[in-house]
Amino acid sequence: MSAHSETSATERPGAFDIGIQDLAWTALAVLVIAGLGHYADSAWIPAGIAALFAFATVHAYDRTTRLSVGAIGGLSALFVVKMWPAVAAVTSAEPFVESSTVLSWLIGLPLGGAVFLLFMPRQAHGLLKNLTLAIMGLTFAASLVLLGAVMGSGYHFDQNVAWIPQFGIRYHVALDGISLWLVILTTFSVPLATFVSFGSVHTRIKDWVFALLLLEAGMIGAFVSLDLFLFYVFWELMLIPMYVMIGVWGGSDRIRAAVKFFLYTMFGSVLMLAAILYLAYAYGQVSGTPSFDYFELQRLVLPRSTQVWLFGAFALSFLIKVPMWPLHTWLPDAHTEAPTAGSMILAAVMLKLGTYGYMRFCLGLFPEASIEWGINLAAVAVCGGILYAALCAWQQTDLKRLVAYSSVAHLGYVMLGTFSMTAAGLEGAVLQMVNHGISTGALFLLVGVLYDRRHTRQLADFGGIASQMPVFTAMFIVATMASVGLPGTNGFIGEFMIITGTNASLRLGHFAGIQAVGAALGVVLGALYMLTAVQKVFFGPVTKKENEGLQDMNSRELIGIAPLVAFIFIIGLAPNLILQSVSGATTRIIRDVNERLDASPPPDYHRGEAKLLNRRPEAPPAPQTALAAVAAETK
Amino acid sequence: MMPSLLALMPMLVIGFGALALMMTEVVTDAKTGLSIGTAVVLLAAGAFAGAGWLAGPEHLGDASVFAPWLVFDKFTLFFEMLLALGGALAALLAGGYLREHGIERGEFYALISFSTLGAMMLVAANDVLMLFVGLETMSIGAYALAGFRRSSPKSVEGALKYFLLGSFAAALMLFGFALLYGATGHTDLPGLRDTISAEGFHSTGVVVALALILAGLVFKVSAVPFHMWTPDAYEGAPTPATAFMAASVKAGGFGVLLRVLLTVFGDERSASWATGWPPVVAVLAVLTMTVANLVAGRQESVKRMLAYSSVAHAGYLLVGVVATIRAPEQAQSAVLFYLATYTVSTIGAFGALILCGSRGAEVVSYEDLAGLGRRHPAVALPLAFFALSLAGMPPMAGFFGKWFVFKAAMDAGLHGLTIIAFINSVIGAYYYLKVLVFLYMREPAAHAPVAKPMWSGEVVTAIAVSALCVLLLGLAPGGVLDMALAVGAHG
Repeated sequence: MSAHSETSATERPGAFDIGIQDLAWTALAVLVIAGLGHYADSAWIPAGIAALFAFATVHAYDRTTRLSVGAIGGLSALFVVKMWPAVAAVTSAEPFVESSTVLSWLIGLPLGGAVFLLFMPRQAHGLLKNLTLAIMGLTFAASLVLLGAVMGSGYHFDQNVAWIPQFGIRYHVALDGISLWLVILTTFSVPLATFVSFGSVHTRIKDWVFALLLLEAGMIGAFVSLDLFLFYVFWELMLIPMYVMIGVWGGSDRIRAAVKFFLYTMFGSVLMLAAILYLAYAYGQVSGTPSFDYFELQRLVLPRSTQVWLFGAFALSFLIKVPMWPLHTWLPDAHTEAPTAGSMILAAVMLKLGTYGYMRFCLGLFPEASIEWGINLAAVAVCGGILYAALCAWQQTDLKRLVAYSSVAHLGYVMLGTFSMTAAGLEGAVLQMVNHGISTGALFLLVGVLYDRRHTRQLADFGGIASQMPVFTAMFIVATMASVGLPGTNGFIGEFMIITGTNASLRLGHFAGIQAVGAALGVVLGALYMLTAVQKVFFGPVTKKENEGLQDMNSRELIGIAPLVAFIFIIGLAPNLILQSVSGATTRIIRDVNERLDASPPPDYHRGEAKLLNRRPEAPPAPQTALAAVAAETK
Repeated sequence: MMPSLLALMPMLVIGFGALALMMTEVVTDAKTGLSIGTAVVLLAAGAFAGAGWLAGPEHLGDASVFAPWLVFDKFTLFFEMLLALGGALAALLAGGYLREHGIERGEFYALISFSTLGAMMLVAANDVLMLFVGLETMSIGAYALAGFRRSSPKSVEGALKYFLLGSFAAALMLFGFALLYGATGHTDLPGLRDTISAEGFHSTGVVVALALILAGLVFKVSAVPFHMWTPDAYEGAPTPATAFMAASVKAGGFGVLLRVLLTVFGDERSASWATGWPPVVAVLAVLTMTVANLVAGRQESVKRMLAYSSVAHAGYLLVGVVATIRAPEQAQSAVLFYLATYTVSTIGAFGALILCGSRGAEVVSYEDLAGLGRRHPAVALPLAFFALSLAGMPPMAGFFGKWFVFKAAMDAGLHGLTIIAFINSVIGAYYYLKVLVFLYMREPAAHAPVAKPMWSGEVVTAIAVSALCVLLLGLAPGGVLDMALAVGAHG
């Protein structure tokens, strides 16, 4: 419950400003009503009350603002009520029934919405914007259904239908505790980014919202697909919209950045495609039936000679996406040139596909090779990712580039936690993925706010902004604190868990302690570069004429940042809301990897031909009849 | 009686239909209906091929009474349908293009029809003489189509190059056939196969014949180093003719290449990695992909880029051809399926290019595309769509076609070749992306000539049909895939 008072308190620094005051009241009311939701039978009642209250509080504004605030208030209340563990126990008199089509709705809504918007008139900007937000809001509301399931260690909302039976390709989507939060992060941050972007993007609105919706569908699809062919389709599907977003609405050097982004990512992904093909081929050799299903391919134990190459192809693709040093060079360019919303989505969600992919596919399909190479890669993550990127960030003169390099450093933590293969490390990694999405998303948003006013991002061009934009300064400092991991904010929990997990890791050999120290040093460096930047931009005297009388954040920007700031504290004070549904899945990953390593230890893993294990107990039941029918047909 | 006629119907329909269309052009002045008429005739031929498919080629057996030098198996029928679709789409493109550019003459449609007929004879040939007749029928039509814009020096130059080199390649091939006849005493493909697999491959005559025939065939599919004519001929030709050459002539070439290599030289020694043609074709495939992709990235003309892109696609297809040695059924199906996806994607791309420009304001270079995405989004979108399909981005058809060929190569154990093909498809992505860059991200330079889109119902129809096929083959490939697999399984 302490989250409630804390959240409203942090938004009070701007109490002299009418906008922030109303928002603070709204946030307080929403959370109190959400708390009352514990005693209500249905989550919808407090959500409705919260929406009405939020709508009424901002009575001084025009109808659009009030509607958006009302919608955000209602959705936030719904989110909090749904997320709170007590409610599930109190309200669910009957067991929760999992619908197998929810995930398809989550993919289909933005995808269908994108196609639908193609038939809307190009000049009707208002209509296009409102429809887009409505579709994204609906997607977010639909994603809240996912919170109803008790995650445990299994997979939920499983849908598995034949797609191209000739090759054993199926449309298979399902969700576990890890992908749950990444899907929610997507449905949560994409609408925010979109909403904020409407303040700065004024050209070619139709193309813009089309790209955004397509991107959202692609990202959700990639997080939930468990057929490798399907995964690859979604993986590539999100490439084009992001490429277009950087290339069309980006900065001055946008085309080069866009092409660089595309070619880097594509190079990694075609090698992954080659590995997927080989994997399916090897599976077909052993089992006689073709399949691209994750759970089927997981059964395959390959000898070292092949597994290392396949692991290499997958890992290369994911580590480019993360990105990990030395494959990170596309990221600063892409972030610097991308429009604010593009940077937000890129940082908040797209980079997570790399870390998620490594966790799901590298650890799941090639556990032996992952562990063998994890030791070396962890060293790279510490030296190249956490420390080197932090030093690079320190030397940046461009604020956005600085935040981009800080992303590389933060994702170094996520990768380190993954390599550590301890419960704390993996849980911390998943939590840190969400955290990074929130805090770096907020930072990019705020850098965008500054850029819209001054059209520069050079640190030297600022100074003394705190006296001109007090609310903005408060928000920026909150986001900075989350980014450097101040206790009480979300960043602290994630980094702390990763560092302890690394220290306790048995998989990292003798160097676990040193790596933990390195990672801890990274936290210090993080504070160094972020606080240096904050000091240069916000404090001291106003030295430049242009910085005088800058307008503080407007209501659109405040609405965009408020949920992010709220979650910085909610997760920071009650991380268990997320961790409780993650721990089952991470425990499963560790157990699966340990079992495989016991059965086929390095250096050879497994001698002789590839062999098949039994299907994992948590895997959703295979559609045996369909598989058998295809097998009979192909023979 | 009836079934055998059904087997011949596709060719008869095109032959008589084309004659009728020619007469129409002579006796009336009406030119507007010709393109639709041609499309209808070709699609009718395709429908008859489909009927033959449904009836089952084993029930068309006594066609050999009429035409012992033709073979009507599923392979032939699949190609007949594909060629009919390609020809019909090209004819529709021509309907809009020729009118807009003031070069509308009825011969164009007759040439497309007869060239398609030749391509059909080519893939159906069961005898090297028939094969040569089909090849020449197809090629002479294509030469004339390439030079159709008589007033343009570029067009004439391209056509002349194509004609001279093409005749030379045909002569080489004919010489190869003669040598083969001398060594074996056969001109029919089954007879050649039996003799060669029994004894003949050791003889120098057969080896030289194989080399000569291979050179002639890869010329037709424009593989490196026999591709020199391609950019010039493709650039000079009227765009619908380019689309036809890139789609149908290439499909016919691959059809006969598969037929000859799998039937005549499909025995253990000829098709073995150590002693036969596979390493040669593999080297050609690597060269073709790499050279074409690298050169395509440096082009400034969009049409030349698409020409090199078609060469690169020939390289991917050759990878599938090599894969037939170890995974014959799957690889053959993969090549067929790839040809289907490539046909609709490439015709769609050329169609979209046609739509982007009008008379006197044609799209030639990338610069002409600058800003089109903002000024004319409805015209830019199809071009971007087909470029992405050619680049092999999911969920478009091009991705699935590529995926299938690479999968076949992987299953055949050609891992190195597959990796090279994968890396090439990344290099290829670069120049297709350049189209998107210019369409959406660049603004035209000041005082630069601005391309003005044209409007034509026929072209729009062709593009819509291609787009539909591209999505269908990408998202729900089941039906066509089954057909391709059936060809692989039953020949």
